[in-house]
Amino acid sequence: MFGPFRATQSLSVGLLWKIPWRLSPTQKARQRKRLRRVDDVVATLDHALAKLRMSTKKLERWKEEMPREEEMLPKDKYTVFDRKEKKYRKALHKLPKWTRVSQRLNPPGF
Amino acid sequence: MPRPSPKALNPLRAPQSYFRIYLRRSAIGLPAKQAGVLDALGLRRRTATVYHPVTPDVAGQIFRVKELVDVEEVDRPLDKKEIKARRTPATGYYVESRAGSAWADE
Repeated sequence: MFGPFRATQSLSVGLLWKIPWRLSPTQKARQRKRLRRVDDVVATLDHALAKLRMSTKKLERWKEEMPREEEMLPKDKYTVFDRKEKKYRKALHKLPKWTRVSQRLNPPGF
Repeated sequence: MPRPSPKALNPLRAPQSYFRIYLRRSAIGLPAKQAGVLDALGLRRRTATVYHPVTPDVAGQIFRVKELVDVEEVDRPLDKKEIKARRTPATGYYVESRAGSAWADE
């Protein structure tokens, strides 16, 4: 009845994963926070190097290509492109290690 | 890690500053490269803090693990004693006089 081997639905019925198909509002809020945190790190690096009149290629490329959190569309913040999915989008939390990777850009038109 | 001299780093004589790097998320389960960068920065465990001078090299390293760390620019690195002192809360009392101090003069 209790413990790790209890007879829950997902254990006794075979393949049954009860992972919600969309993010909860709290998950979305935390995701925005993580995005802003990465933006802050990049801004700090850029600011510190700019004082020495230096920069790095990767930093420049990130600033040029990557949208900041406030510039992103909700669609891109909370979903990712997936070619196998109906309408080509799946919720971000289906992405492995989604809280520790930067996934901001998606193929244009999808 | 040998620290290059400030003069060698700053030909423009800008005041030397440091990155204060705090490891917020661990690299467990992430590509070995990211764990390697954390190791190279001296971040061996979560919640560890290290200081590195502001250089493009260090910035590149931080950029590699930007999802895992918090970064601030500071004027000087704090040593272990100072970090401990900042963490320690106030004792909640103060000593008016030491026991036996009244007899110390005699």
